[in-house]
Amino acid sequence: MADARRPCRARGALVAGAALLAWALAACQALTPGSAIEAPGPRAAPSATAVPDGDVTLRLEFTDAPPMVDALVAAFEARHPRVTVEPRYKTFSDYVRSLGLTMTSDSAPDLAQYAVGMGELAAAGHVLDLAGYRAAYGWDASVPPVSLDQLTAGLTSGATGGDALFGMPAGLSMTGVYVNRELAARAGIDGPPATLGEFEEQLAAARAAGLTPLAVGALDAGGLHLWAALLNQTVRVDDYRDWVDGVAGATIETPGALAATERLVAWGRRGFVDDAANGTSQVDSTARFARGDGVFLLNGNWAAGQLADVLGDDLGFFPMPGEHAAGPTVASGFGFAFAVSSRTEHPAAAGAFLDFLASPEANVIIAEHGFLPGDPDAVPPPTGVFADIAEGHRRAVADDGITAFPDFAAPAMLDALRSGVQKLLADRVAAADFLASTQEVWRAAHPG
Amino acid sequence: MRRTRGSRSAARRWRGHLYVLPALAVYLAFAVLPALRTAYLSLFDWDGVTLGRWVGLANYREVVVDPVLRRAVLNSLALVGFFSVLPVVLGLVATGLLAGHRRRGMAGYRFVLLLPQVVPLVAVGVTWRWLYGEDGLVNQALRAVGLAGVGRAWLGDFDAALVAVGLVGAWVSSGLCLMLLLSGVGRIDPSLYEAARLDGAGPVREFVSVTLPQLRGELAVALTVTTVAALAGFDLVYVTTNGGPGEQTTVPGLLIYRLAFSEGRVGLASALGVVLGCLVLALVAAVNRLSGAGR
Repeated sequence: MADARRPCRARGALVAGAALLAWALAACQALTPGSAIEAPGPRAAPSATAVPDGDVTLRLEFTDAPPMVDALVAAFEARHPRVTVEPRYKTFSDYVRSLGLTMTSDSAPDLAQYAVGMGELAAAGHVLDLAGYRAAYGWDASVPPVSLDQLTAGLTSGATGGDALFGMPAGLSMTGVYVNRELAARAGIDGPPATLGEFEEQLAAARAAGLTPLAVGALDAGGLHLWAALLNQTVRVDDYRDWVDGVAGATIETPGALAATERLVAWGRRGFVDDAANGTSQVDSTARFARGDGVFLLNGNWAAGQLADVLGDDLGFFPMPGEHAAGPTVASGFGFAFAVSSRTEHPAAAGAFLDFLASPEANVIIAEHGFLPGDPDAVPPPTGVFADIAEGHRRAVADDGITAFPDFAAPAMLDALRSGVQKLLADRVAAADFLASTQEVWRAAHPG
Repeated sequence: MRRTRGSRSAARRWRGHLYVLPALAVYLAFAVLPALRTAYLSLFDWDGVTLGRWVGLANYREVVVDPVLRRAVLNSLALVGFFSVLPVVLGLVATGLLAGHRRRGMAGYRFVLLLPQVVPLVAVGVTWRWLYGEDGLVNQALRAVGLAGVGRAWLGDFDAALVAVGLVGAWVSSGLCLMLLLSGVGRIDPSLYEAARLDGAGPVREFVSVTLPQLRGELAVALTVTTVAALAGFDLVYVTTNGGPGEQTTVPGLLIYRLAFSEGRVGLASALGVVLGCLVLALVAAVNRLSGAGR
């Protein structure tokens, strides 16, 4: 009896102790995790373009294309001998996971690659608004304005009153459809489709010929690229941009998005998409396409070099066609861009580096490393599939039709879309329910 | 005189505690305090950088309510079957067959059996991702025996993915379980078997009445280690499926990582971690009670 009561009393004391501890901790503000960081320094870059006279060292953190960054840094230092750039590479997951801590710390790098989450940091004042430089340096002449407009985070510049600017791209990317022309000919397909309807006929023909119609690496990000490519054709571009930028009141639950999502489900149902898509990563699906398994492949321009080495002249590329032949070309793409910390002591030198990225010399380096140059006229005309990609990009830019990848809409969006599109492809979720849960993820990140 | 001796022995006892102090300090600093801090953080809405906001038990409410989080806990319980129950049963069967026989070259077998345990789980995951792939060895084998129709991208199949990941776990744990059980059998007094045989026990009776009860301690260890691996596992799922397709193979460890590091919801991640920790403790306590190892 006494034995049974003792643990009881002990438990009561434990609960009381825990409650007391919790109250004490809640009352004590000093124990609250984190700190209320105010961004120091200026929030906007000056609008002058002078390069400083003294010796300056810029620290740069990035995660993509180390050889290209090294080449760009070397060329920049040759032109500005008094400015030293110290690049620091991080693996992609390390970079993205630590971006918030890095950019809000007192030791933030002067320059940092633009990534998911940079928009929130910009809104909190940790990233320098470059709108002044955009006007002073005249970047709109050397970079497609549509690619700069992706880097506004949906904010207005306090300095110019126009759109803010939180990054400058060094090379652009775009997704689209690769085609294996030899396999396509075997299925009776003789040219790039002019409309989505025509593309569906070609996919059906490929399937009828016993070939894998469209290879997609939906185990990781390939599925969301396909979804975005279809969204681009039926969603109003401005509505989509508002949604990615987190503009209050924006939504993905629109008739256009529903039509695109239902089309994706139908493609899965009709066997247009590789049966193994959900179990195949982007790298693996690209490798299989290169081995001759698959008539079409959905991927970005970053895969072109690897594919061209194997498939050569059999390889073609076209942006996802629209519903009508006369409609605009709209494709997903983003700049490999650099932002400037608002803690930097050398905004002028950082501006000079960013402006160098728009120079003809930098454009050549960018094109040599497989990215799309901001100014296609500054580089020698590309050949083969690279010409197809450049032509597709030129059309999309001319139609103001480059949209950001959908995972930029919220930090949790990448994982949500990856698993969501897997369910769509396997016909495990209704299109409307998928959009509703996607909007829920968006709302969690943009409660305002 | 007597008094002095008494106080001296008390001092000696305290000196004994002093020897424990370094280990205790390390344990407190690196195991207990982080755990308490996690529990504390679970009461906040905190993005990991800016000032947190006290939300009380709201994070725990979300753990219970959110279908994805609940799903993850259920998945990990299903994985316990593969990581823990299946290997232990297999190990027992093999032990029953091998027990009482003189074995030659056992060291070689042990090495082979323990190999999956020695290879880093990330490498195991990558290897199995290839094996399970559309053109992987599993499908090639199926094709070779005329079962091409059954073949699929296993890790991308909604019905097969969890089983596929579970079987990898079973492969990893089986060697460890068999090793533990075999070494336990080696410890059993042969006279027990002799006595059982004299009483007319057959091999099955021998196994149930002698081997199984004598292996209780080893069974408890095997079940505990593999259950913890199944519930708290992260690396294998992260490398093979990343929780997909859909949420078919999502486990709490994966969600904790995502919530804390990519979504900046440290409080919710901590709450899920605390719930997972309690779940592990409860299961391990149950295992120990059943096996009587705690006595």
